[in-house]
Amino acid sequence: MAMDVVDYEVFGNEMQYVEVELDPGEAAVGEAGAMMYMQDGIEMDTVFGDGSAQQGGFFGKLMGAGKRLITGESLFTTVFHNEGNGKRRVAFAAPYPGKIVPLDLGDLGGTLICQKDAFLCAAKGVSLGIAFQKKIGVGLFGGEGFIMQKLDGDGLAFIHAGGTLKELALAPGQTLRVDTGCVVAFQPSVDFDIQFAGKIKTALFGGEGLFFAVLRGPGKVWLQSLPLSRMADRIVRASPAAGGRSREEGSMLGGLALGGLLGGGSDE
Amino acid sequence: MVTRAEYAARHFGPGSADAGSPVVLTWREQWLVVRRGEDVIHTLRAVEVEPAAKGFNNAQLALEWFADEVRHMLILDGPVALAFRQACPPALQHRLQPVAAAQQSTERRFRWGIVVLAFLALLPLAALGLAIAFADPLAAWAVDRIPPGVEAKIGESVLAQTQAESKLITEGPAYEAVQAIGRRLAGGEENLRFFVADRPEVNAFAAPGGVVVIQAGLLRRADSPEEVAGVLAHEIAHVELRHGLRQMVKAAGVRMLFALVLGDYGQMAGWGAQLTELKFSRDAEREADARGLARLARAEIDPAGLGRFFAKLEATPSAGAALPAVLSTHPATAERMAALEAALAQMPPATIQPLAIDWAAVRAALGEPQT
Repeated sequence: MAMDVVDYEVFGNEMQYVEVELDPGEAAVGEAGAMMYMQDGIEMDTVFGDGSAQQGGFFGKLMGAGKRLITGESLFTTVFHNEGNGKRRVAFAAPYPGKIVPLDLGDLGGTLICQKDAFLCAAKGVSLGIAFQKKIGVGLFGGEGFIMQKLDGDGLAFIHAGGTLKELALAPGQTLRVDTGCVVAFQPSVDFDIQFAGKIKTALFGGEGLFFAVLRGPGKVWLQSLPLSRMADRIVRASPAAGGRSREEGSMLGGLALGGLLGGGSDE
Repeated sequence: MVTRAEYAARHFGPGSADAGSPVVLTWREQWLVVRRGEDVIHTLRAVEVEPAAKGFNNAQLALEWFADEVRHMLILDGPVALAFRQACPPALQHRLQPVAAAQQSTERRFRWGIVVLAFLALLPLAALGLAIAFADPLAAWAVDRIPPGVEAKIGESVLAQTQAESKLITEGPAYEAVQAIGRRLAGGEENLRFFVADRPEVNAFAAPGGVVVIQAGLLRRADSPEEVAGVLAHEIAHVELRHGLRQMVKAAGVRMLFALVLGDYGQMAGWGAQLTELKFSRDAEREADARGLARLARAEIDPAGLGRFFAKLEATPSAGAALPAVLSTHPATAERMAALEAALAQMPPATIQPLAIDWAAVRAALGEPQT
């Protein structure tokens, strides 16, 4: 499998985008809709399926497209290839606040299991597949559902998730309990399981839900601090237009008098 | 030199990368040789290593051992693990059986789980199908439990809606005529109230609770008060038999089920609005006809008017125009007409007192429909 080696640079703090540099003839695949800008000489090509070259025939393409449909990705992948003479750049932006993490699949043994929607872009040759979560309990209560994404290849791939992304290395047998929904990606050698929160009182009033996701090493895992759904929930709750309450604005006294006085006073 | 089969694996433990370091495994008799690049980093006896199913979906094979109290682990990917298993010495092979069993049970449980989940997902749909299949008896059952008070309220809301949509005629010969016919038909039943709506369509309907609305267009098309009486008697019969209520419950129930299953609660509102457009089954029409005729006979009104009026509407050449509204909800099928005539013929000759209404004056008062 021919992998293209790409140089990249990540810009921004909380709302990031990644700029990928392509040598002449090199290509990158991006999630449809993720492209932010591209320089002259970069040609965009939309291919049916996942853009990895090894799938042959109509049926193979159909399978690839079907997989993407199940993972919730769009049916078409966009390939950006450099038809110019010199190095050209193309940028892919993250769709919501969070971090973009570059991963070299070669270092990870060639395969990475990640949350669906986590994929942002990759060097051409990285193939996107689906990985069914086959432990029913984990699928139901693990926070990631039954369908996960599988990245195969040995090139560079960029994944994106909400909040701050934490990369952790688990030693053989080492376990980590994670809030459900916070698992972004892990090596296939990592066990992904669930564990009952333990005590009924904790489960009901602890605010952490009934189950933890449990990751057991060895291998690397990536966690997100703020799943998009959690942020969306807070935004909707705080939005008067969506039936929420605008608490922060407060009353006349709290908002104008006190806030104004304090805000104005600190300026002087 | 004998070439030995090599198996790619990843080594986790002291001296390895966080993501594991690629190593190559070979069997040398009872010894497992672990090489990283050209260097042999471990040589293990087959009995030393502890195999286990590991990783995402238990799809990986883990070989674990302790050296100097520190845990080491080798991870073999699915296809490689299969080949490795076949080549390994008996001492390890029999201990690999439980690993394979664990992997198979994960697969099996997944398949069963999917079946169960699919079943659960289809359950509401199945319930919906059953409810639709048994909609009629269910609706009848529910209607029997609707108290008259609710019925009256539905009638009131239909009346309010009629008032909002069209002007009610509350005086003049047409109003008087309808009230006179109504009084004769009601025969002392106090819950029946008659209204005339100033609308051009040929239509009449009765709402639950005894609200009977007749539209001016129907009065215009009628040639005698007996014809109007026939239509009113038929509509009253629908109310008495609670046909409208049953249809409403059925339609609302099916819609509510759909909304519940599909999670669309917004559509539940406003289902009462379609009362005037309800279609009844042939049985319901026949029943209402028979009951209507009986009521006409009790009121000593010529019962032939009903059949005459519907036959007349049906025969009218509708030059591109839509059928009269009353016909679209009460299709004058040949079967129905025959049943009406048969019922008429069987009825004992009753005393008939003609309705003393100057019909020409009524029609003159209504005038031509404003178009």
